[in-house]
Amino acid sequence: MNRSPTQTIVFWSVAILCVVALSAPTLVVLGASFTAGNIIDFPPDGFSLKWYVAILGERDLQQAFLRSVIVACICVAVSVPTGTLAGIALSKYQVKWAGALQIYLLLPFTVPLIGSGIGLMLLFGELRILGSLWPIGIATAVINLPFMIWAVSSSAASLDPDLELAAQSCGAGPLQTFFNVTLPAVTPGVITGALLMFILSLNEFLVSLLLVDARIVTLPVQIYNSIRAIITPDLAAVSVVFIAVAALAIIILDRIVGLEVFLKSK
Amino acid sequence: MTEIQAAAVSAINVEMTFGTFKAVKDASFELQNGKFLTILGPSGSGKTTLLRLIAGFLTPSSGEILINGRSVRAVAANKRSIGMVFQKLALFPHMTAAENVAFPLKMRRFDARTIPDRVAQYLKLVRLDGFENRRIHELSGGQQQRVAIARALVFEPDLLLLDEPLAALDRKLREEMQLEFRRIQKELGVTTINVTHDQREALVVSDQVIVMNDGEIQQNAAPTQMYRMPSNPFVANFIGVTNDLSGILTRVTSADATARFGNVELMGVHGGAVALEDGTPIKGAIRAEQIRIASAEQSMAGLDADFRGTVLDAIFEGERHVYEVEVPELGGETLKIIHHDRNDQSALEPGALVHIGWKNRDLQIFPAKQ
Ligand SMILES: Nc1ncnc2c1ncn2[C@@H]1O[C@H](COP(=O)(O)OP(=O)(O)O)[C@@H](O)[C@H]1O
Ligand SMILES: [Mg+2]
Repeated sequence: MNRSPTQTIVFWSVAILCVVALSAPTLVVLGASFTAGNIIDFPPDGFSLKWYVAILGERDLQQAFLRSVIVACICVAVSVPTGTLAGIALSKYQVKWAGALQIYLLLPFTVPLIGSGIGLMLLFGELRILGSLWPIGIATAVINLPFMIWAVSSSAASLDPDLELAAQSCGAGPLQTFFNVTLPAVTPGVITGALLMFILSLNEFLVSLLLVDARIVTLPVQIYNSIRAIITPDLAAVSVVFIAVAALAIIILDRIVGLEVFLKSK
Repeated sequence: MTEIQAAAVSAINVEMTFGTFKAVKDASFELQNGKFLTILGPSGSGKTTLLRLIAGFLTPSSGEILINGRSVRAVAANKRSIGMVFQKLALFPHMTAAENVAFPLKMRRFDARTIPDRVAQYLKLVRLDGFENRRIHELSGGQQQRVAIARALVFEPDLLLLDEPLAALDRKLREEMQLEFRRIQKELGVTTINVTHDQREALVVSDQVIVMNDGEIQQNAAPTQMYRMPSNPFVANFIGVTNDLSGILTRVTSADATARFGNVELMGVHGGAVALEDGTPIKGAIRAEQIRIASAEQSMAGLDADFRGTVLDAIFEGERHVYEVEVPELGGETLKIIHHDRNDQSALEPGALVHIGWKNRDLQIFPAKQ
């Protein structure tokens, strides 16, 4: 492609602006976490790792972090099998009411989170399961399930329908075809979806806020509670750790998915 | 066992309807054990549908398919002993070449200890030894074809189905693979049904050819007979380059027919099966390569019909010339003529006055309406 110099300048300016805008909050938090002072501040007041050392001693933050990870794992465990089956069914088989179903699956996006959160709170309250972690995992799975379904169904939709017929002509029955051919072929979508679900659940704030009580706060809620009391730089440090975990998950899984997608390419 | 061996495949009045659309209409044919059948027809003529009915991916709306003399209506696709090569190959992308070939053996519960040897044997048969551990995307188009054929044959199916697997290849590779399929088919003696819209492929590789159009079988014959005695104008036009002449029948006997075309009466042959009545409109068909063309009248010696004409267009195609010649005596019809000239001495220019002629036995006469 040949671009004129003006075009090139405009193109790069927009690109750089986007990158800056997207990463500014992360950079601010990152900077603030290294401050040597005692209040959260940007640009930081000197450089030190003392707030990272500090969070090593804060059991509340650590436990909240652990709870968030557990919630995210429960969310993945629930959403991967259901979302995978639903995604394959929606894109590959002529499901009755497929159109209506697709719109229904969009609902979680259109209903404001506060609405779904209150709904789930009432439901879980009625069922008397508030106060433990697994309902939060399920709640984040329910709310974010469309991401999982979309990741899988886009993978399944690009699948050659003859693959399953080929498996049959090789002698594979319906179950063998599903496990040996269909499922491996949509694996990139499953991995992408699982990664998304993990991160979305890990970060989920509003719904967690409504469903947790004081004994089982998750990290975003814990940070929020602390901010309301006193803003210290240890919150920035723990946020950075939090971001790093999510980023690490992306990097590791992107390696795997990237590889799978590459292997899939014809 | 019975004294007469049942046909490897028989279709009896098979129909396939999608909604209200008939994709296959009343198809009946037989294929003997070990033979190579090609189903030839334009796109949308129902070839794939017919193949999928035989494979068991579809169930006929009516009629019956027999494999080795037994109805397969109640037999699921994965329980039939049929290997298939798909148009887009449908190789498993997450498996290596060897894993693809081993897959049918695993699914069909072959003794696990024999599988590696058998996979190696079939990869060798398709000349892919050394490529076992390549992923599918690491193989060239031709190599992928070979994996697909090894996967379809490795479990020694009773029947091999090929659904235009060569259509996507360039011409040279396609012709190479056509001969390769034929070699392997002969070597293993496996009964084969091949689908194509390439008439050359049909004539070159097959023992038997079926021409389809609009879901209907037009003719079922050996390649040479299909070429020499097409049973209707569609087949005549689909195989080779054919000139159509419209005329009125004047006289008909059991073997030949005479008809008026423009100002002249010409004699030709007819298949005999269809009703031809005096005075009815007919179509005459003559192949472009069965018309002789020359500037000198004496070159027409030994021919039954000869006319004067004017060359309108001359196309040089390497090993042959294609001429379009206007013939006033035939009511101003323009005929396509293919001239193979080994010495390339007699090239004719547009505007040249020429003589053209043919033998009566090369003019096919069909009822105008089928
Ligand atoms: N599953 C189907 N549903 C509806 N129509 C179909 C289906 N499969 C094939 N057809 C129609 O049947 C006709 C024949 O198709 P096909 O057998 O694929 O032709 P070919 O292989 O000769 O190109 C086409 O008009 C096609 O649109
Ligand atoms: Mg087809």
